[in-house]
Formats: sequence, structure tokens, C-alpha cells
Amino acid sequence: MSAVARLRSWEGLLLVLLVAIVAMNVLRSPYYLGVTNIANLFQLSIEKIIVALIMTLIIINGEIDLSVASVMGLSACVLAWLHQMGVPLPLAIIASLGSGLAAGLFNGFWVAYVGLPSLAVTLAGLIGFRGIARILVEDRSVGGFPSWFNTLGQQPVFGPVTASIVIFFVLFAIIAVVLHGSALGRLVYVIGNNLQAARYSGVRVKWVKMALFATSGLIAALAGLLYAARLGAVRGDMATGFELDVITMVLLGGVSIFGGSGNLIGVGLSILVILNLRNGMGLASITGNTQTSVIGALLILSVLVPNMTQVLQSRWKGRNT
Amino acid sequence: MKKYLLAAASLAALVCIGGIASAGDIAPGKSLDMVLLPKFLGILPFDQAHKGAEEAAAELKNGKKLQFLGPTPENSVAGQIEITTNATTQGVAALMLSNNAGDQIVPAAKAAQAKGVKVVTWDSPIPTSEGEDVFVAQVDFNDIGKVMADMALSTIGDAGGKFAVLSASPDAANQNAWIAAMKVALKDGKYAKIQLVDVVYGNDQSEASYNQANALVDKYPDLKLIMAPTTVGIVAASKAMQDGKLCEKVKVSGLGLPSEMLAYTKNGCAPQFALWSFVDLGYLAYYTAYGLASGAFKAEEGASFHAGRMGDYKITKDPTRAKGLRILMGPFTVYNKDNVEAASK
Repeated sequence: MSAVARLRSWEGLLLVLLVAIVAMNVLRSPYYLGVTNIANLFQLSIEKIIVALIMTLIIINGEIDLSVASVMGLSACVLAWLHQMGVPLPLAIIASLGSGLAAGLFNGFWVAYVGLPSLAVTLAGLIGFRGIARILVEDRSVGGFPSWFNTLGQQPVFGPVTASIVIFFVLFAIIAVVLHGSALGRLVYVIGNNLQAARYSGVRVKWVKMALFATSGLIAALAGLLYAARLGAVRGDMATGFELDVITMVLLGGVSIFGGSGNLIGVGLSILVILNLRNGMGLASITGNTQTSVIGALLILSVLVPNMTQVLQSRWKGRNT
Repeated sequence: MKKYLLAAASLAALVCIGGIASAGDIAPGKSLDMVLLPKFLGILPFDQAHKGAEEAAAELKNGKKLQFLGPTPENSVAGQIEITTNATTQGVAALMLSNNAGDQIVPAAKAAQAKGVKVVTWDSPIPTSEGEDVFVAQVDFNDIGKVMADMALSTIGDAGGKFAVLSASPDAANQNAWIAAMKVALKDGKYAKIQLVDVVYGNDQSEASYNQANALVDKYPDLKLIMAPTTVGIVAASKAMQDGKLCEKVKVSGLGLPSEMLAYTKNGCAPQFALWSFVDLGYLAYYTAYGLASGAFKAEEGASFHAGRMGDYKITKDPTRAKGLRILMGPFTVYNKDNVEAASK
């Protein structure tokens, strides 16, 4: 791929956008380049961007997981519920991760083995898992976790970098290797591109889908725990609505909602674009409503631009022949 | 001679008292970056609080413009934490927070305090009070119960009769506390003739509240009054009685916003209702935060200060929480056909 072609690719576009946003932030706010601010920029959305990594695989695979935010809430509430009953926190953490894995296996079973559409299955999960979370802690706020747990979510482990940020980068590396350097990764693309062809050529479609949904549940549960540690208290409505932010990051990263195409570099860039944009707008004291509109406009553009260029190109060709 | 000395001494004492009393005076003209952070943007009470805070900012001649920043309703918790963190990064002098994140805001609020930001809560405090300097409370919960009992009595009249409560949701902590306070107040002998027959819930949704109000009238044919301690419920109940042409028989009262209740108060469906002024709440929160940030007084029990047109206030322990400090605004304003129009503007 020549340098020009690379620049004209979606990732190139995101990179240009990112540079523009960073430049604007540097010019507009003297606080932007502070080390703490850069760490905060990740830390404030860390749970979402962790989940976005596994969501990338799910969407490339041609599926979607709408239940991730509810699984985050569920895992946090399982933790809080067990903690209140006097269960030692390490055990509670294992149980909480287990609840996420179970939720993921549940989704995976209906999608992979029964063949129901993931949109419907995980929508049910979104409602159902949230319901269980709310039953567990009711209309209360549960806190009082041991200080090592809160420290884990709030204090940096080295420099300004928190444990959550380390986990994000480690997961990013692992998922990049799996998706772009392993046989499993190729299967994810193959299934996403053409499910029937994959089935006929003997790909273990069910197994791959099951594994993806189970991992999604597990990672969402981990993100829920990190969120609980960061806030130091748990409520039944925790992380409500986060699934849309996560999916936004993935789609803006150039992953096709129909599956089969996209890559983790694009999603990484899209995460940086959204986080820097939000942070810049926050430091410029722009309110929530405007921020949401700007990010919404960005997403519309991300869907429109590739499709429009295709349409225009084909019309152009049609005129010339 | 002795007399003179005595007089001089008492004069000196007076001067001293005067000196102490003015210690809490807030000097205007400082340039302090301040952020007013409501639960979310887009509803009237918070806009009114903003108006009050701007009024205070103008009086105190703050060189820096007040920042009114809020999240969207569906992103309230994460949004409040994000705004608090960004305000800390900017190194603002004070943050005025109507907390919607429960104790989840604590780490962000503590981080703000650690960087020297004064954190004043208003409307809704931080439950554990960690990360908070002081809470500016609208009214005392017990007062709310008493005011509702008084409105019920005066609306139903001396002849007495039955009334019912239309509340928000069964697990709304503030409404439940107010209803409990009203039940305690009703035990007084002077309310003997009015009888609370039921408490129903409209979940702060217009349609559900409207249906619940109609159901109450069906269930209790001799009902005289519906008491709705929620701004959504009171409007829905008033509309239900008006639509059913029942306003002569069943009156509505409770907690409401003048601008939303104007028509119903004028036409007699809801002859009186009460609320605290959100304009005043924003005004007082601003004076408190400005005073703390400028060092005029400290956030400690017994500190007092003068808040412009609203007069003198004192910081006390908060009796409604295990820990924490409170400034009690009070009192209620009871609205009727004489004052509702002016307040609705």
C-alpha cells in the first residue's frame, strides 16, 4: 500500500482527525498536556474502552453484544451483594467474574447453538442482567470495600498510570495478536464475511461464537469490577447505557456493522479520537448535551462518508462508460 | 468613674461582638473560578438555581464568569464524575454540586478537595459527606411534613374530611421521609378532623400519576383532597381533577412549581401548594462557595456568614446524616392565587 493510499484509508482519516483534535486541545487549554490530565482522559472512560476491544471481535464476527453494560452492572452488584454478606473480597471477585462468564455463555448458547439473532438475545440480556443487578442491591448504594480494592481503581501503580490503564494496554496487545496474528482471528473474519461459506468449509462456527460471547461476558465483568473500584461504591444502575458508547467507538473505528471487516488499529484510533474530543470539550467547559451532539455527528459522518464515496465513485464510473 | 469604666467596657464588648459578627462578612470583587453542577441539564428547577447563582455572582462582583455545566440525564453519574474531574484539572476555586451519583462521586470529590477545590453540595448531598465541605439544604425534612399537614387542614377546612397522598415512586428516599414526617405531624390534636386514607404512587410519570389520581377518586367517593409531594404528581393530579370537572369536590395540594401550577391555582383546582425557591437555593449555594473559596469563613461547625439579601446563615452539624455539615436555607414558600403569578415568571 503506498503512503497516499494508506492516508486515504479509514485509519488515515482517523489519524488526521486525531492530530487535528490534539492540536486544537493544545491550543485551547493549558491543562490538556498535563500528565495527570492525559491519565484522567483514559481513566474516565477506561471501562468502556476495555469492553470496546472485545466488542470489536464480536462485530467483525457479524454479531453484536448489547448486554455488556448490564453485565458490567451485574458483576459490580454481585460483588457488592457478596461483600455485604461478609464474603471475603477475593472470593467475591471470583464469583463476580463468574457471573459475567455465565452471562456470556448464556448469550453464546442462544446465538451459537440455537441460532437466534444476537441483537434479540443480547437485548434480552441487557434487560434481564440489569434486572438481576437491581434485585441484588435494590435502590441502595453499597460501598465500604477494603482500601486495597479502592486503591486498585483510584491510585496509580506507577507515574500517573492506574492498574486499569495497564490492563487496557495488555488486553489491546493480546486481542491484536489474536485478531491479526492467529488462526482464530482469521476464523473471526471468515465467519463475519460469509457465514454459510464458513459453515460449509467446516469452520467450527458455533465454537468460535460461543468463545467470543463468553469472553465478552468475562471482560465486561472485569470492566464492571474496575468501575466499582474506581467509584468506590456500587449502585444498581451502574454503567447504564454504556453499550452504546462502546459500539460507537467500534463503528467509528471503521468496523462494519455487517461484519467481516475492520481492524483493531482503527478502533484504537477511534478510541483516541473520542477520548481526546471529550476531554478537550470538557476542559473547554462545553456541556454534556453539546458533547453528545458532536460525537453523534461524528458517528453519522463515519457511516455516511464511506458509503457516500462508494456511491459517488460508482456514479462517476457509470458516467464515464 | 466606675460607671464610666463600666460603660467603656460594655462599649468595648459591643464593638467586639460587632467585630465577631462581621467576621463572616464576604468581601466582594475576588476573581474565583466557580462551577455550578446540577444533576443534569434541561429541567426548570436547575435553571432557576442557575439564575440565583448568577444573581449572587453579580452582587459579589466575581471577576470570573460562573460556569454552569451539567451532564445529560441518561449519563448523569458518569457525567458528574467527568465534570468534577475536569474542574479539578482546571484548578477551579469551588464546585457547587447537586449530587446525583450517591457515594460514587466520593473519589472524584476527594481528589478535587485535595487540589484545593471547595466542594459545596446543594439540593442533594453526598450521603457519607466524604469529599464535601458543606451541604446547603433547602428545607428541613420535618418542616416539609408539617407544611403538608397545614396545607391539608386549611384546604379541607374545619369541617374535616378524607385525603390521600399521591407520591413519586415507592422507594424515593426524600418523598418517603416527607410523608413519614407528615404522618408524625398529623398526630397533633389540631389535625384530628382530617384523615389520611391512602398513599399511592405515580412513579413521577405524568400518565401514571394522572391515572392514580382518578383511581383515588373512584375508590374514595368522599375524598376531599389529593396531596402530591412531587412536582410531577401535583400537575398530573390537578389536570385529572380539572378534566373530570371534579375541582369543586376534590382539591389538589402538595409540592409544585409555580410556573407549572399557575392555571390550576387560578381556577381553584389547586388553591395552595408549597415549594422552596430554587433561585434562592442557587443564590445561597453561590454565597457559601464564594465565601469558603475566598477564605471569609471555614467549613466548620458554628461558622456564620452574611448571604446578601437572604441574611445570616450558620453552619451546623447535619442531623439527617451520620456525618457532615449543613446550612439550612428554609423556609417554605406557600403559593396561592395571590402570589403564584409573580413567582411563575
